[in-house]
Amino acid sequence: MDGNQISMLKKIMEIEFTCIDLNLYLDTHPEDQKALQDYNYYSNQLSMLKQQYEQFYGPLMVFGHSQSQYPWKWVDDPWPWEIEY
Amino acid sequence: MWVYEKKLQYPAKVCKPDVKMAKYLIAQYGGPDGELAAALRYQTQRFVMPTGKAKAVLTDIATEELAHLEIIATLVFKLLKGVPVEILKREGLGEYYTEHDRGLFYADTTGMLWTAAYIQAKGDAIADLHEDMAAEEKARATYEHLINLTDDPCVKDTLRFLREREIVHFQRFGETLVQVREYMESKKFF
Amino acid sequence: MYDYNPYVQDYAFPSLKLAQAYVPLQKYVSLYPPEEAIKKGTVFPELDMPYVGEKMR
Repeated sequence: MDGNQISMLKKIMEIEFTCIDLNLYLDTHPEDQKALQDYNYYSNQLSMLKQQYEQFYGPLMVFGHSQSQYPWKWVDDPWPWEIEY
Repeated sequence: MWVYEKKLQYPAKVCKPDVKMAKYLIAQYGGPDGELAAALRYQTQRFVMPTGKAKAVLTDIATEELAHLEIIATLVFKLLKGVPVEILKREGLGEYYTEHDRGLFYADTTGMLWTAAYIQAKGDAIADLHEDMAAEEKARATYEHLINLTDDPCVKDTLRFLREREIVHFQRFGETLVQVREYMESKKFF
Repeated sequence: MYDYNPYVQDYAFPSLKLAQAYVPLQKYVSLYPPEEAIKKGTVFPELDMPYVGEKMR
Protein backbone atom coordinates (compact mmCIF):
# COMPACT_ATOMS: atom_id res chain seq x y z
CA MET A 1 0.00 0.00 0.00
CA ASP A 2 1.57 3.30 -1.05
CA GLY A 3 2.13 6.26 1.21
CA ASN A 4 -0.40 8.40 -0.59
CA GLN A 5 -3.15 5.85 0.00
CA ILE A 6 -2.31 5.69 3.72
CA SER A 7 -2.33 9.47 4.09
CA MET A 8 -5.64 9.84 2.21
CA LEU A 9 -7.15 7.11 4.37
CA LYS A 10 -5.94 8.82 7.54
CA LYS A 11 -7.41 12.13 6.41
CA ILE A 12 -10.75 10.41 5.79
CA MET A 13 -10.57 8.85 9.28
CA GLU A 14 -9.96 12.28 10.82
CA ILE A 15 -12.87 14.00 9.12
CA GLU A 16 -15.20 11.05 9.59
CA PHE A 17 -14.30 10.93 13.27
CA THR A 18 -15.32 14.57 13.70
CA CYS A 19 -18.60 13.73 11.92
CA ILE A 20 -19.22 10.76 14.25
CA ASP A 21 -18.69 12.79 17.40
CA LEU A 22 -20.88 15.64 16.11
CA ASN A 23 -23.50 13.08 15.04
CA LEU A 24 -23.76 11.70 18.59
CA TYR A 25 -23.98 15.24 19.98
CA LEU A 26 -26.79 16.09 17.54
CA ASP A 27 -28.69 12.95 18.57
CA THR A 28 -29.27 14.54 21.98
CA HIS A 29 -29.24 18.17 20.68
CA PRO A 30 -31.18 18.05 17.39
CA GLU A 31 -32.01 21.75 17.57
CA ASP A 32 -28.44 23.00 17.95
CA GLN A 33 -28.01 25.02 14.76
CA LYS A 34 -24.30 25.71 15.17
CA ALA A 35 -23.52 22.01 15.67
CA LEU A 36 -25.66 21.06 12.69
CA GLN A 37 -23.90 23.64 10.54
CA ASP A 38 -20.51 22.21 11.56
CA TYR A 39 -21.75 18.66 10.95
CA ASN A 40 -22.92 19.53 7.44
CA TYR A 41 -19.64 21.30 6.72
CA TYR A 42 -17.51 18.28 7.67
CA SER A 43 -19.94 15.85 6.04
CA ASN A 44 -19.51 17.67 2.75
CA GLN A 45 -15.72 17.60 3.13
CA LEU A 46 -15.91 13.87 3.89
CA SER A 47 -17.85 13.02 0.72
CA MET A 48 -15.32 14.87 -1.41
CA LEU A 49 -12.38 13.09 0.22
CA LYS A 50 -14.05 9.69 -0.14
CA GLN A 51 -14.84 10.31 -3.78
CA GLN A 52 -11.21 11.18 -4.48
CA TYR A 53 -9.94 8.14 -2.61
CA GLU A 54 -12.32 5.76 -4.38
CA GLN A 55 -11.22 6.94 -7.82
CA PHE A 56 -7.70 5.73 -7.10
CA TYR A 57 -8.10 2.89 -4.65
CA GLY A 58 -11.52 1.33 -5.17
CA PRO A 59 -14.80 1.50 -3.25
CA LEU A 60 -14.93 2.18 0.49
CA MET A 61 -18.56 1.05 0.52
CA VAL A 62 -20.67 -1.37 -1.50
CA PHE A 63 -24.37 -2.24 -1.77
CA GLY A 64 -24.69 0.50 -4.35
CA HIS A 65 -23.20 3.33 -2.30
CA SER A 66 -20.06 3.55 -4.46
CA GLN A 67 -19.29 2.52 -8.00
CA SER A 68 -16.35 0.33 -9.01
CA GLN A 69 -14.01 0.29 -11.98
CA TYR A 70 -13.50 -2.98 -13.87
CA PRO A 71 -12.77 -5.51 -12.49
CA TRP A 72 -14.85 -5.30 -9.29
CA LYS A 73 -12.35 -3.64 -6.92
CA TRP A 74 -14.10 -4.49 -3.64
CA VAL A 75 -12.29 -7.84 -3.48
CA ASP A 76 -8.82 -6.28 -3.62
CA ASP A 77 -6.43 -6.64 -0.68
CA PRO A 78 -5.52 -5.20 1.72
CA TRP A 79 -8.50 -5.27 4.06
CA PRO A 80 -8.59 -2.79 6.97
CA TRP A 81 -6.94 -5.10 9.54
CA GLU A 82 -4.06 -5.87 7.16
CA ILE A 83 -2.92 -2.29 6.65
CA GLU A 84 0.29 -1.10 8.34
CA TYR A 85 -0.11 2.54 9.32
CA MET B 1 -29.82 -2.17 7.55
CA TRP B 2 -26.08 -1.76 7.88
CA VAL B 3 -23.42 -0.99 5.30
CA TYR B 4 -19.75 -1.85 5.79
CA GLU B 5 -17.00 0.69 5.21
CA LYS B 6 -13.67 -0.79 4.11
CA LYS B 7 -11.63 1.17 6.64
CA LEU B 8 -10.99 1.25 10.39
CA GLN B 9 -12.39 4.04 12.55
CA TYR B 10 -8.88 4.58 13.95
CA PRO B 11 -5.47 3.62 12.46
CA ALA B 12 -4.76 0.81 14.93
CA LYS B 13 -1.19 -0.42 14.96
CA VAL B 14 1.14 -2.47 17.13
CA CYS B 15 4.88 -1.86 17.48
CA LYS B 16 5.74 -5.56 17.85
CA PRO B 17 4.00 -8.94 18.25
CA ASP B 18 3.02 -9.70 21.86
CA VAL B 19 1.15 -12.91 22.63
CA LYS B 20 0.37 -12.07 26.27
CA MET B 21 -1.19 -8.74 25.31
CA ALA B 22 -3.27 -10.42 22.60
CA LYS B 23 -4.59 -12.79 25.25
CA TYR B 24 -5.54 -9.87 27.54
CA LEU B 25 -7.04 -7.78 24.74
CA ILE B 26 -9.43 -10.55 23.77
CA ALA B 27 -11.37 -9.42 26.86
CA GLN B 28 -12.64 -6.44 24.86
CA TYR B 29 -13.58 -8.70 21.94
CA GLY B 30 -15.68 -11.41 23.55
CA GLY B 31 -15.64 -10.55 27.25
CA PRO B 32 -18.56 -9.41 29.46
CA ASP B 33 -17.77 -5.68 29.09
CA GLY B 34 -16.32 -5.91 25.60
CA GLU B 35 -17.28 -4.33 22.33
CA LEU B 36 -19.44 -7.21 21.07
CA ALA B 37 -21.53 -7.09 24.23
CA ALA B 38 -21.83 -3.30 23.90
CA ALA B 39 -22.86 -3.33 20.24
CA LEU B 40 -25.43 -6.10 20.67
CA ARG B 41 -26.81 -4.66 23.91
CA TYR B 42 -27.58 -1.22 22.45
CA GLN B 43 -28.73 -2.64 19.15
CA THR B 44 -31.41 -4.77 20.76
CA GLN B 45 -32.47 -2.28 23.45
CA ARG B 46 -33.31 0.46 20.96
CA PHE B 47 -36.58 -1.04 19.70
CA VAL B 48 -38.66 0.04 22.68
CA MET B 49 -37.01 3.39 23.39
CA PRO B 50 -39.79 5.99 23.72
CA THR B 51 -38.22 8.92 21.80
CA GLY B 52 -36.58 9.42 18.43
CA LYS B 53 -33.54 10.90 20.12
CA ALA B 54 -33.06 7.82 22.30
CA LYS B 55 -33.49 5.48 19.31
CA ALA B 56 -30.86 7.51 17.44
CA VAL B 57 -28.36 7.41 20.32
CA LEU B 58 -28.65 3.64 20.76
CA THR B 59 -28.50 2.95 17.02
CA ASP B 60 -25.46 5.15 16.45
CA ILE B 61 -23.48 4.07 19.51
CA ALA B 62 -24.21 0.39 18.69
CA THR B 63 -22.82 1.05 15.22
CA GLU B 64 -19.71 2.75 16.57
CA GLU B 65 -19.14 -0.20 18.93
CA LEU B 66 -18.99 -2.51 15.90
CA ALA B 67 -16.19 -0.30 14.57
CA HIS B 68 -14.44 -0.70 17.94
CA LEU B 69 -14.90 -4.47 17.73
CA GLU B 70 -13.02 -4.36 14.44
CA ILE B 71 -10.23 -2.26 16.00
CA ILE B 72 -9.78 -4.77 18.85
CA ALA B 73 -9.74 -7.63 16.34
CA THR B 74 -7.11 -5.78 14.31
CA LEU B 75 -4.88 -5.32 17.36
CA VAL B 76 -5.16 -9.02 18.30
CA PHE B 77 -4.56 -10.08 14.70
CA LYS B 78 -1.44 -7.92 14.45
CA LEU B 79 -0.12 -8.95 17.87
CA LEU B 80 -0.26 -12.63 16.85
CA LYS B 81 0.96 -12.22 13.30
CA GLY B 82 3.90 -14.51 12.47
CA VAL B 83 4.33 -15.75 16.05
CA PRO B 84 5.54 -19.40 16.06
CA VAL B 85 3.43 -22.04 17.81
CA GLU B 86 6.09 -22.69 20.48
CA ILE B 87 5.85 -19.08 21.61
CA LEU B 88 2.03 -19.08 21.56
CA LYS B 89 2.20 -22.15 23.80
CA ARG B 90 4.83 -20.72 26.13
CA GLU B 91 2.95 -17.41 26.52
CA GLY B 92 -0.37 -19.00 27.46
CA LEU B 93 -2.25 -19.25 24.17
CA GLY B 94 -1.87 -23.02 23.70
CA GLU B 95 -5.51 -23.65 24.53
CA TYR B 96 -6.66 -20.84 22.25
CA TYR B 97 -4.45 -22.10 19.42
CA THR B 98 -5.96 -25.58 19.74
CA GLU B 99 -9.42 -24.28 18.88
CA HIS B 100 -8.78 -21.17 16.80
CA ASP B 101 -5.15 -21.04 15.64
CA ARG B 102 -4.50 -17.29 15.21
CA GLY B 103 -8.12 -16.64 14.23
CA LEU B 104 -10.44 -14.32 16.10
CA PHE B 105 -13.11 -15.78 18.35
CA TYR B 106 -15.61 -14.39 20.87
CA ALA B 107 -14.11 -15.39 24.20
CA ASP B 108 -12.67 -13.52 27.16
CA THR B 109 -9.09 -13.60 28.39
CA THR B 110 -9.67 -16.83 30.35
CA GLY B 111 -11.27 -18.58 27.36
CA MET B 112 -14.84 -18.20 28.59
CA LEU B 113 -17.13 -17.96 25.56
CA TRP B 114 -19.28 -14.93 24.89
CA THR B 115 -22.87 -15.31 26.04
CA ALA B 116 -26.03 -13.21 25.75
CA ALA B 117 -26.26 -13.60 29.52
CA TYR B 118 -23.71 -10.74 29.69
CA ILE B 119 -26.34 -8.27 28.53
CA GLN B 120 -29.97 -7.40 29.16
CA ALA B 121 -32.88 -5.73 27.41
CA LYS B 122 -35.43 -4.99 30.09
CA GLY B 123 -38.03 -3.33 27.88
CA ASP B 124 -37.77 -0.39 30.32
CA ALA B 125 -35.88 2.58 28.93
CA ILE B 126 -34.79 3.93 32.32
CA ALA B 127 -33.45 0.57 33.49
CA ASP B 128 -31.73 -0.09 30.16
CA LEU B 129 -30.06 3.33 30.04
CA HIS B 130 -28.64 2.80 33.52
CA GLU B 131 -27.20 -0.51 32.31
CA ASP B 132 -25.71 1.29 29.32
CA MET B 133 -24.04 3.94 31.48
CA ALA B 134 -22.63 1.20 33.73
CA ALA B 135 -21.43 -0.71 30.66
CA GLU B 136 -19.49 2.34 29.45
CA GLU B 137 -17.83 2.72 32.87
CA LYS B 138 -16.92 -0.97 33.01
CA ALA B 139 -15.42 -0.78 29.54
CA ARG B 140 -13.49 2.36 30.55
CA ALA B 141 -12.09 0.55 33.58
CA THR B 142 -11.13 -2.45 31.43
CA TYR B 143 -9.29 -0.18 28.99
CA GLU B 144 -7.38 1.38 31.89
CA HIS B 145 -6.35 -2.08 33.09
CA LEU B 146 -5.24 -2.97 29.57
CA ILE B 147 -3.23 0.28 29.26
CA ASN B 148 -1.45 -0.67 32.50
CA LEU B 149 -0.69 -4.15 31.13
CA THR B 150 1.29 -3.07 28.06
CA ASP B 151 4.51 -1.18 27.34
CA ASP B 152 3.78 -1.00 23.62
CA PRO B 153 3.23 2.72 22.79
CA CYS B 154 1.29 1.82 19.61
CA VAL B 155 -1.17 -0.38 21.49
CA LYS B 156 -1.49 2.18 24.31
CA ASP B 157 -2.30 4.87 21.75
CA THR B 158 -5.26 2.94 20.32
CA LEU B 159 -6.48 1.90 23.78
CA ARG B 160 -6.48 5.55 24.90
CA PHE B 161 -8.67 6.41 21.92
CA LEU B 162 -11.13 3.62 22.75
CA ARG B 163 -11.19 4.58 26.44
CA GLU B 164 -12.06 8.19 25.60
CA ARG B 165 -14.97 7.01 23.45
CA GLU B 166 -16.47 5.32 26.52
CA ILE B 167 -16.53 8.71 28.26
CA VAL B 168 -18.28 10.39 25.34
CA HIS B 169 -20.82 7.54 25.14
CA PHE B 170 -21.47 7.83 28.88
CA GLN B 171 -22.30 11.51 28.38
CA ARG B 172 -24.76 10.73 25.56
CA PHE B 173 -26.49 7.96 27.52
CA GLY B 174 -26.68 10.26 30.54
CA GLU B 175 -28.27 13.03 28.48
CA THR B 176 -30.65 10.46 27.02
CA LEU B 177 -31.62 9.25 30.49
CA VAL B 178 -32.57 12.78 31.56
CA GLN B 179 -34.43 13.45 28.29
CA VAL B 180 -36.35 10.14 28.40
CA ARG B 181 -37.36 10.75 32.00
CA GLU B 182 -38.58 14.27 31.10
CA TYR B 183 -40.53 12.84 28.18
CA MET B 184 -42.18 10.19 30.35
CA GLU B 185 -43.09 12.73 33.01
CA SER B 186 -44.64 15.05 30.40
CA LYS B 187 -46.81 12.16 29.18
CA LYS B 188 -48.05 11.53 32.72
CA PHE B 189 -49.58 14.99 33.11
CA PHE B 190 -51.04 15.70 29.67
CA MET C 1 -7.29 20.93 29.51
CA TYR C 2 -10.47 22.88 30.21
CA ASP C 3 -11.20 25.61 32.75
CA TYR C 4 -14.45 27.36 31.86
CA ASN C 5 -17.42 25.56 33.40
CA PRO C 6 -20.75 26.62 31.90
CA TYR C 7 -22.69 24.10 34.00
CA VAL C 8 -22.34 25.49 37.51
CA GLN C 9 -25.72 27.20 37.70
CA ASP C 10 -27.50 24.21 36.12
CA TYR C 11 -27.33 22.33 39.38
CA ALA C 12 -29.69 24.46 41.41
CA PHE C 13 -30.54 21.91 44.05
CA PRO C 14 -34.31 22.35 44.59
CA SER C 15 -35.10 21.14 41.07
CA LEU C 16 -33.38 17.79 41.54
CA LYS C 17 -35.43 14.86 42.77
CA LEU C 18 -34.10 12.14 45.00
CA ALA C 19 -33.38 8.64 43.69
CA GLN C 20 -32.62 9.81 40.16
CA ALA C 21 -29.30 10.00 38.35
CA TYR C 22 -28.43 13.17 36.43
CA VAL C 23 -25.88 14.05 33.79
CA PRO C 24 -25.88 17.72 32.71
CA LEU C 25 -26.76 18.38 29.09
CA GLN C 26 -23.64 19.37 27.20
CA LYS C 27 -23.47 22.89 25.75
CA TYR C 28 -21.89 23.66 22.41
CA VAL C 29 -18.73 25.63 23.13
CA SER C 30 -15.81 24.81 20.85
CA LEU C 31 -14.28 21.99 18.80
CA TYR C 32 -10.82 20.56 18.36
CA PRO C 33 -9.74 20.61 14.70
CA PRO C 34 -10.26 17.14 13.09
CA GLU C 35 -6.58 16.09 13.15
CA GLU C 36 -6.42 16.81 16.88
CA ALA C 37 -9.89 15.41 17.67
CA ILE C 38 -9.07 11.89 16.49
CA LYS C 39 -5.88 11.88 18.59
CA LYS C 40 -7.84 12.91 21.68
CA GLY C 41 -10.74 10.53 21.01
CA THR C 42 -13.28 13.37 21.05
CA VAL C 43 -13.93 16.60 19.17
CA PHE C 44 -15.13 18.28 22.40
CA PRO C 45 -12.44 19.79 24.68
CA GLU C 46 -14.76 19.61 27.70
CA LEU C 47 -15.17 15.84 27.28
CA ASP C 48 -11.44 15.26 26.85
CA MET C 49 -10.58 13.44 30.08
CA PRO C 50 -7.37 11.49 29.51
CA TYR C 51 -6.25 8.60 31.72
CA VAL C 52 -3.48 9.71 34.02
CA GLY C 53 -2.10 6.24 34.72
CA GLU C 54 -2.22 3.75 37.49
CA LYS C 55 -2.36 5.17 40.99
CA MET C 56 -0.05 3.78 43.64
CA ARG C 57 -2.03 1.55 45.95
